Amino acid sequence: MRRTLPFALVTGVGFFMLVQYFIPKEEFEIAYEWILDWTIVIGCFAMLLGLWSLTRVNISKVQRKTPGWGYSLIAIAGMVFMLLVGFIPGQKSLERGSIFMLLFEYIYIPIQATMFSLLAFYVASAAYRAFRARTILATILLLSAIIIMLRLVPLGPLSEINQWLANFILTVPNMAAKRAFWIGVGLGVTATSLKILLGIERTYMGRD
Amino acid sequence: METFGLWIAALLTLGIMSFLYKDNPVYKLCESIFIGISAGYWFVSLFWQSMYPRLYLNIRGAVSTLLHEGRISDDRWLYLVAGILGVMMLLRLVPKIGWISRWPLSFIVGSTAGLYFITYLQSNIMNQIRSTIIPIYVPGNLGISISNLIVFVGVFCGLVYFFFSREHKGAFGGAAKVGIWFLMITFGASFGFTVMSRMSLLIGRIDFLFGTWLGLIK
Amino acid sequence: MKKTKFIILIIPLILIFFNLSSPQEKPVPLPPTEIKAFDSPNDNGHSISVTWKLSPDDGAGKNNVVAYEILRAESPEGEFEVRGMVPSGENLFDDKGSREKEDKNYLPSHKNYYYKIRAKADNIFSESEVSNPAFAYGQWYHTGKTPVLAGVIIFSIFALTFITLARKGKKLYIRPLPGIEAVDEAVGRATEMGKPILYVLGLGTASDIATIASFTILNRIAKITAEHRTTILVPCYDSVVMAAAQETVRAGYLEAGRPDIYKEENVFFVTSMQFAYVAGVNGLMLREKPATNFYLGKFYAESLLLAETGSIAGSIQISGTDEIAQIPFFIAATDYTLIGEELYAASAYLGKEPVLLGTLKAQDWGKAVVIICLILGALAASFHFQFFLNLFRVQL
Repeated sequence: MRRTLPFALVTGVGFFMLVQYFIPKEEFEIAYEWILDWTIVIGCFAMLLGLWSLTRVNISKVQRKTPGWGYSLIAIAGMVFMLLVGFIPGQKSLERGSIFMLLFEYIYIPIQATMFSLLAFYVASAAYRAFRARTILATILLLSAIIIMLRLVPLGPLSEINQWLANFILTVPNMAAKRAFWIGVGLGVTATSLKILLGIERTYMGRD
Repeated sequence: METFGLWIAALLTLGIMSFLYKDNPVYKLCESIFIGISAGYWFVSLFWQSMYPRLYLNIRGAVSTLLHEGRISDDRWLYLVAGILGVMMLLRLVPKIGWISRWPLSFIVGSTAGLYFITYLQSNIMNQIRSTIIPIYVPGNLGISISNLIVFVGVFCGLVYFFFSREHKGAFGGAAKVGIWFLMITFGASFGFTVMSRMSLLIGRIDFLFGTWLGLIK
Repeated sequence: MKKTKFIILIIPLILIFFNLSSPQEKPVPLPPTEIKAFDSPNDNGHSISVTWKLSPDDGAGKNNVVAYEILRAESPEGEFEVRGMVPSGENLFDDKGSREKEDKNYLPSHKNYYYKIRAKADNIFSESEVSNPAFAYGQWYHTGKTPVLAGVIIFSIFALTFITLARKGKKLYIRPLPGIEAVDEAVGRATEMGKPILYVLGLGTASDIATIASFTILNRIAKITAEHRTTILVPCYDSVVMAAAQETVRAGYLEAGRPDIYKEENVFFVTSMQFAYVAGVNGLMLREKPATNFYLGKFYAESLLLAETGSIAGSIQISGTDEIAQIPFFIAATDYTLIGEELYAASAYLGKEPVLLGTLKAQDWGKAVVIICLILGALAASFHFQFFLNLFRVQL
């Protein structure tokens, strides 16, 4: 009951989704859309679990006064405040100019953009550490990266050669390797999906 | 208000950038604000944009049809199934009956597995094979012939590299080696491509600080 | 005399003027013939297709057919409405309707419709005869997807064959993968240092197969950490993933016979916004200083932020993703990287269960079939045998 019926559900719904791909009939199309819709609704309920987990972990830190508990308090306060200004005004909270959207615009967006921009520094530090051309593979990776990076930079007489090389790399070996990669991933996903449908892959279900 | 918001945005930007020096209380403060605000934002927007229209409005519409028109046949009642599965998900919080949450989980995983089994077979395998069926020899055009040959060799050797049930030895190992070289070229190209876009993000932030906030760049 | 001369001159001028100002009448184009209406194949039952024989005046040098208008009515004598237009030279039109009754474009199935085609030349046109009645209905099988069905059957045969062989005890060899071989060493390092292990499932949801593949690896690693009494921390991006991850880790502890030391709060939710999640995990890495970090699943732009921070924190890092754009960053910033398909193979490597090894073998056979198709395809394309290319054409 605790595991048999869920596995039957996995197999049943899974095989339906597989079979409906080949059947153009309207009834199957509608059923497919319902299943996708229900998945979204279940995900919405699950978000309550996520919020509960976040709250519990941070409150626990505050209660135990672990080092840095003040930051946990700030995180909870921020979350609670957003929930209040998001729910009290109703759907109007999503309109531009509301407190909810102002917080999003002046706090979330700048921090997100800044974190994204940190990648510029990390790219440089990662490249310095890894691309010291100690192996053939690192050398190939480094050379390919340099040619592509320099394709938009004016290099005088070398520009034309670099452009040609960059174009060649992108259209020929790059495309070839990507195809092999995608075919491999496709086989991997197909195999994993089949294992799930046949009940061979069941770790996500846990044990009793 | 806008000036105040601008100052807050700028100070938070500097707070996050201080992480480049080392982890510090200012960064930790910005991080905790970020996590709290983002969790709240995500929950609220998901509720109003997904949960409310899909579940509440549809069920309310079905109830309204029943009360005013006396008609029970309404497709929208099917959203109750989703609601029930959603509530079963929440039963995770009750230890004794937490196993009930496996049902909605099975529903999601099963539907995904069935769908992706087919779509990846079509997009990643069939379509890629079709795109790679190219003539090795094109009469009168040596350049394209060489390019096509390189593509063919690249795909072939790349696939050989991903073989798991044979050791990379001898001719097989040689082909696998060529395969990983092709993959490294691709990874290098991806890296080079992304570096430029990351730099432009940094330029954007510098422009915000020195231009929009301090007004030093016109 | 002068008056007569004037009239003789004026009348031709008047006649010429009227001749120039009234437009020259173009000939009415001949109508199209042999109108045939039939149910559109491979659809959901709300589309009817119409073909016709082109008007003789289409491309016949007179250039007076510019387009064809398709009209539809519910009876041969009924009111015909315009359903669409195609340019001259074309003789096929799909009258696609909606399946929603409230939609004004609703086309019910199993209801007869009649069609007429107008050959249009600027403002003049001629109409064809009314077509045969035709009704739309949904098909039970989409013939355009036959290549995919063939792929499903071939792959399933491989998988079931090798699973059966594996269950019968046949030994299946798999070559070593450095990233997998390092797992035991990485967990051992964490145990020696008394530091936790960090496992990041990525930014995928439970609807991503890469995340589900990562659950299998998480289960194995949770079992090893339980045996070593090492803490495992699993910060999650998605609530459903968190629920599944908690089950997975608990199962690992149960298999190791250590359910008592399982702590649910170690598998927790952070947030579902990309960079906020990264900020949280980075903070965790710098505070807890895990000895080993695993990044296995779906990653996007945040991959380098995570990997570099882990590197700063001094952790051994094992990564794996099927997102090709993130692999170079993982290669640069982590110690071991599972590339693409290797992520999906990892569960078989860690568990070494016969059934999982069997599906790995099936994947390899799948690759072999692909290689054979590519070789045959290259030869066929070189010799212009189009039929081979059509074997892989999927119509959606």
